[in-house]
Amino acid sequence: MSSANTKRAKKQALGPYGKVGQAINELDERLGVAKGGRTLMDKIFPDHWSFMLGEIALYSFVILLVTGVFLTLYYVPSSSLVTYHGSYAPLDGQHVTEAFASTVNLSFAVRAGLLMRQMHHWACDIFVGAIIVHMARVFFTGAFRKPRELNWTIGTTLLILAIANGFLGYSLPDDLVSGTGIRIAYSIILAVPVVGTYLGFFLFGGNFPGSVIIPRFFVLHVLIIPAVILGLVGFHLFLLVRQKHTQFPGPGKTENNVVGTPMFPVFMAKTTGFLLFVGGAIALLSAFAQINPIWQFGPYDAARISYAVQPDWYMGFLDGALRIMPSWTFHSFGYTIPWEVTLPAVVFPGILFTVVMAWPGIERKITGDNAMHNLLDRPSLRPKRTAAGAAVFGFLAMLFIASSTDVIANFLHISLNTVLWAMRVLCVVTPFIVYPVTKKIAQEVGALKGGGKRKTTNVVTLTAEGEYVATPAPVYVDDAVHHLDPTPVPTFLQPEEEVRPAESNGTRVADR
Amino acid sequence: MKISSLKRLAAAGAVTLVAASPLLLLVGPSGAASKAKSVTTTTVAPTTTTTTYVNSTSSVYNTARQNAGTPNSDNVTTDPTTGAVTSYGDSAITYTIPSSSMVNTGEELFMQNCASCHGTQANGVPPAGTSGAYPNLIGLGPATIDFWITSGRMPAANPRSVQAERSKGKLTDQQAEEVAAWVNSLDPSYPGIPTPNLQIANVSDGSALFALNCAACHTIEGDGDALAASTYAPSLRNIPAFQVVEAIRTGPGNMPRFTGNLDDYQVNDIVKYVTTEIQHPNNPGGFGLGGLGPVAEGFVGLLLGVGLLALIGFWVGERE
Amino acid sequence: MSENHEHRTPVALSGLSPDDPHLQPAAKNPLLVERLIALSFIVGTVLVVLFGYFYVKNGTPWTLGATLGGGLSLFGIGLIAWGKYLMPRGPFVEERHTLASSDSEREAMANAVVVRGGSVIKRRKMLGGLLGGGLGLFSLAALLPLLRSLGPLPKQTLDHTDWKPGSYAVDITGRRVHEDDLAIGSIVTVFPEGFQNTDNGQAVDQTVIIRISNSDFTTMKGRENWAPKGYLAYSKLCTHLGCPVGLYEQQLQMLVCPCHQSMFNVNDGAMPTFGPAPRPLPQLPLYIDAAGYLRAQKDFDQPVGPGFWERS
Repeated sequence: MSSANTKRAKKQALGPYGKVGQAINELDERLGVAKGGRTLMDKIFPDHWSFMLGEIALYSFVILLVTGVFLTLYYVPSSSLVTYHGSYAPLDGQHVTEAFASTVNLSFAVRAGLLMRQMHHWACDIFVGAIIVHMARVFFTGAFRKPRELNWTIGTTLLILAIANGFLGYSLPDDLVSGTGIRIAYSIILAVPVVGTYLGFFLFGGNFPGSVIIPRFFVLHVLIIPAVILGLVGFHLFLLVRQKHTQFPGPGKTENNVVGTPMFPVFMAKTTGFLLFVGGAIALLSAFAQINPIWQFGPYDAARISYAVQPDWYMGFLDGALRIMPSWTFHSFGYTIPWEVTLPAVVFPGILFTVVMAWPGIERKITGDNAMHNLLDRPSLRPKRTAAGAAVFGFLAMLFIASSTDVIANFLHISLNTVLWAMRVLCVVTPFIVYPVTKKIAQEVGALKGGGKRKTTNVVTLTAEGEYVATPAPVYVDDAVHHLDPTPVPTFLQPEEEVRPAESNGTRVADR
Repeated sequence: MKISSLKRLAAAGAVTLVAASPLLLLVGPSGAASKAKSVTTTTVAPTTTTTTYVNSTSSVYNTARQNAGTPNSDNVTTDPTTGAVTSYGDSAITYTIPSSSMVNTGEELFMQNCASCHGTQANGVPPAGTSGAYPNLIGLGPATIDFWITSGRMPAANPRSVQAERSKGKLTDQQAEEVAAWVNSLDPSYPGIPTPNLQIANVSDGSALFALNCAACHTIEGDGDALAASTYAPSLRNIPAFQVVEAIRTGPGNMPRFTGNLDDYQVNDIVKYVTTEIQHPNNPGGFGLGGLGPVAEGFVGLLLGVGLLALIGFWVGERE
Repeated sequence: MSENHEHRTPVALSGLSPDDPHLQPAAKNPLLVERLIALSFIVGTVLVVLFGYFYVKNGTPWTLGATLGGGLSLFGIGLIAWGKYLMPRGPFVEERHTLASSDSEREAMANAVVVRGGSVIKRRKMLGGLLGGGLGLFSLAALLPLLRSLGPLPKQTLDHTDWKPGSYAVDITGRRVHEDDLAIGSIVTVFPEGFQNTDNGQAVDQTVIIRISNSDFTTMKGRENWAPKGYLAYSKLCTHLGCPVGLYEQQLQMLVCPCHQSMFNVNDGAMPTFGPAPRPLPQLPLYIDAAGYLRAQKDFDQPVGPGFWERS
């Protein structure tokens, strides 16, 4: 049994790492992946729970791509009229656009079609929500500071693209509710001073509605914007890996190290599990909650309108701004600037997103802080930034609420006019209330020992006079915060003694 | 208002008289034409009354269009003895005038439940000592009265509110018809109490008509919404078929009325759409989320979707 | 299953002995956790197979979604638990290498850019300028197919509608509106005859006719004969953002736009009394012809719909 043809001999000839080792060898000889791959696998990811928020966005985007491919196989991006003959009786015999008819057919006649449509739509709502929550985390912990300003800019661009793509996507079925949104978008474009009518006619191929807007939206929604988003997301992740993730200060953590779990296997397991869970959660939501029932809305017709036609939630801040804006218009010298449209729908989001995108630079100018930051701030330790962010959030929240004035008036049985005036006042006043209140709370929390996470235990005693007195308790061993220093990490790996067996095939054998 | 009410009344009277004449010609063959010019009103004493059916001089629902809720319709039946129109309509909707036998009960019910605001003459002048102005009910036709009472809005639970709400109501449908019979007897008019024939209705046409005419106030899902100054368009989820016809034809409150712009076949289609798709939506995608559209979806997406996932993220990561 | 609260010093990944506490699983009872994870994988598998079954049977979204969602979620939870409780618990640490290159490398780069680049520009400034200018003009020209080919020039399109003198007012079915048709308090959407099924007809020409009284109605000076027999016609396009103003409250005599709740008083020329709309709805002058049909006297006296720069 000593010939080289036995199974054991063959196995031994492969080396101590077996077939996998062989494969690595082959790849490394061609591509040189061993060193880089090993570095990547060893990368440490800090795993605070708030770092998972970006992953929600990333994985809902994956779901969007997968379900989106399914949808493109059945959706017809055409404004030509067809007669609907399908299983949904209230539409039977009506002249509708092919886009609408194909979406209704997809919902009723294609297996799992409705589920895929709903998953796609819910995933989009969650995608934008997760981006905003993730951005908030990055903002309040100061992770946008040097060296990560570029990533912040990319992220803001991704937010804008996500919102735009969502609007384009839900307008594709050409139903009554989203068609109204397109009409409003057209009017906003018209309202741009000097070039508005040209832009509108170019984009729509003429006056509203024309017949090219749905196919053009389709190309933007399926091809151009997802390609840009994919590219930017890739670059966003590359920067993250290259610059390494930030981390909260704590025991063993410094500006010059990263503490956490390695990419392989721990982080990959957790993140892949999270991907599966995000997919599963979106599927469950789509199973039980109906979203965008376009067959009930019917096809878009420029003379028809429904009440309670808010846009999808992430456009709500624009809709709210349009509602509360007073009717100030400028009309002179034969020209009109409809400020009641351009201010809330063009100027305001322009200013908002410019400030957001430029925020790393703005904060650098205000604080004069040009140092590298790999450790995050606790929000309570930066009261001004936290308060400013909270004030903007408060203002935006009021705008979102202002988008549903009619629903609020109906629900609370209050006059619609009263609700609108209340929202006008609230939108103006809220930031001025939120800022000082948040600042104070942050300062108080920051001043607490342990950042407010650990309450100081008190021992309460009853004096002879019947008075209760609280004194800080002695610190117990378990409560003591250990400031551990990490064991010094070698800045380079000591190459191990190479033990090359006689017929080596190049695989290094390390002492296990 | 730029035109004085007196001028308006006179103008209305003149126009309706002129408009009435061709109508009378159409109603003629059944024999009511000979009695057309005289209007008999009921007296308080419960004797047998004869109510002829004539185009009331103050009818607000007049239209020359055929099959649009007036006796100018395909089928008209009259009482053989009195010659009064007892029902009219076409294959889509039949309108019934409550029979005169109900008038006395109706009068009693009216005095008990309605006269305190609308007055003993049903003309909107309340009894001495009661303040406020209430609508004049004379000449509005049986359908109007029937709608307000069967939908529970009248007798008004809160006369001071801007808009009365639908409720279970105090009077039964039968009693509502009786009250309508009495009020109608004061100045007979139309529309009668409708019975739509949903068998011949086309739900697809109904959905198109609903989207063009009704969705602007009631929303495309039929859930209703708030309108200007504390008025509102009510939800259509609970309304029976005949009330839909009554509301469309009479235009209660701030709701516009649809007389000559929709014929009975179109109204019938709308009723079919409302009583099937609006009230029993298929909702194959799951919970309808109240039909509130993107507002509700946003709440669910953010709170349930992002919220739940953030919670799981809380578990995945460390709290440290 | 609870996390160990003892603080372990973070260590580097390599060079650890196999029984180092950092490499141990986090779970106090690894076997139990393993069994639970296995259970979640098994149930997840059953669910996704069920998904396949329901798919073949053309199941409803709720069966398909519940099985797919449940299966994926269980896989996800199991995998997360595996990573969290059964894999090396760490914490591990690695050094952040300075991103910046060494000083000498930076200097070399700067030298390459400035000196070598300088050799290009310093001596050939004119060439650089010419090329730059040419490429700049090219980028402007390149915009032309991107923008101009997309659509026609607006010219005067927005200034008028298809209503002409004598146009019959028809409803969506094409039926002409007659003076005897509507009762007071009625509203109907009309279009110029022949345009009720066209895009432009519906999008631009759409008009509402409200019967507000039984006699001629004047909304403002100069419009005395615009609303014969109380038939009042306004453009249905909201002057805010172009939504159809289909919501009419007949007692308040108010047209309300459902999009952003602008309110127009129909009595005085649809003046906006609330909300963001800046201008009243243009009024269409009507007349009643000999046969009693409602017809337009002429087109609107101003562009309909929302504002734009050239709107004088």
